[in-house]
Amino acid sequence: MNKILVSDIIDLESGSYILNLKNKDITLNIDGNVTGYLIDELIDNLIINLKDASTFNLYIFNKCYQNNSIIKINQFNYSNINLNMAYINNDNVNVVINNNIYGNNNNSKINVRNISNNDNSKIIINVKVDKNTSNNIALEDLKGINNGGLVHIEPNIEVYSNEVVANHLTTIGSLDKDSLNYLMSKGINMNLAKEILLKGFIYSNMDDYITKMGGDNNA
Amino acid sequence: MLELINLNLYIKDKILFKDLNLKINKGEVHVLMGKNGVGKSSIAKIIMGDNNYKVEGIIKYNGQDITNLSIYERAKLGIYLLNQTPIQIEGVTNAEMLRVALSEKTGKPVDIFAFNKELENICEKLELDKSFIHREINVGCSGGERKKIELLHMWLLKPSLIILDEIDSGLDVDAIKLVAKSIKEYANTYKPAIIIITHSSTLINTFTDFQVHVLDHQKIVVNGNKKLAEKVLKNGFKNLNIEHLL
Repeated sequence: MNKILVSDIIDLESGSYILNLKNKDITLNIDGNVTGYLIDELIDNLIINLKDASTFNLYIFNKCYQNNSIIKINQFNYSNINLNMAYINNDNVNVVINNNIYGNNNNSKINVRNISNNDNSKIIINVKVDKNTSNNIALEDLKGINNGGLVHIEPNIEVYSNEVVANHLTTIGSLDKDSLNYLMSKGINMNLAKEILLKGFIYSNMDDYITKMGGDNNA
Repeated sequence: MLELINLNLYIKDKILFKDLNLKINKGEVHVLMGKNGVGKSSIAKIIMGDNNYKVEGIIKYNGQDITNLSIYERAKLGIYLLNQTPIQIEGVTNAEMLRVALSEKTGKPVDIFAFNKELENICEKLELDKSFIHREINVGCSGGERKKIELLHMWLLKPSLIILDEIDSGLDVDAIKLVAKSIKEYANTYKPAIIIITHSSTLINTFTDFQVHVLDHQKIVVNGNKKLAEKVLKNGFKNLNIEHLL
């Protein structure tokens, strides 16, 4: 895996990259099959342009997110975006993801996991599929846990074409009581059980990164 | 080892059991039988400490009153419930959970090499692929795999009281035999007390000597041994003439 320092605009060709950001406004032009990891990097504006027939698997993970971010994803033809974002916020946070699908045969999968420890976290996902397009797939899977703070999620899919598969799943809640009881029934105290579940919730969206970093949740 | 003394058991103000008494000693096997919905699983849950139930009376474990102890405290004392439908937990691996649980039990950091070796040996015994050790708990697993994973946890944590709540339900013939063999082996090795809730013969026939309690009408209506279990499994509960026994 390559570590690269990113500033302003960068073209990424096939490969896996850990992206270290030099500034908070970045444009990534994706050409080929690219996997990128943004770990504990703060973003203000991220623009992703996928060239035709390209795939971008992007993992964004922040342990202590305190920022307002806008992520804009542009897709044209035969491209795939798999955006896996996981973060914990201890302060007010606004995240907006705008995914525009302008052409045909594109896949968009946006998975977000957020734990709000304090204050509010607002996540707005807008996926827009243009008219006169066909064979596009747009899926949103957005989950939040209120753990002292409040999560607010707006899952929007605007579809102006008849030939599209679009679906969104959104859940916001607290820690699952059955899961807590299950861990406690194995002799794990409540605080540790909560910690394990919260970590698991975040890491369930980051399995690829965890595998590459050593294969365990302690990474 | 375990004593249920004059227990009244309620859920949402509905009484499930009245004046329930049961004593189970170390190394003994007790089988709870009864029609569907009679409350067998509720007994398993209150022994484990499920706080959805209201309990009046006393539950003692090794002489200690555990009536007001939490699930965690009871698990630390060695009580272990094997559920009929183990839940799945995304993002948490068996290894991670067991490492924390073992460390909590022993009060020491876990020797990772020995820990992994032991888990691999248990997997081999259970005919469970070793990859399950580092997979998320029960995620994407079949019913049979889930039961084996629960047995994996049991073998590692070495509880002294095991409650098997219809662990044989939904398993194919070979899987039931393997599960039964594993539990028998555990019983021979560690001599735990065992409570079995079941509607089938395969698991209980593994044991030569056990006590049977038939539940109905909010209490234990008949006590017996292997012959009683055979009678119930052959002829059903109707022929016990329970109404006559009340």
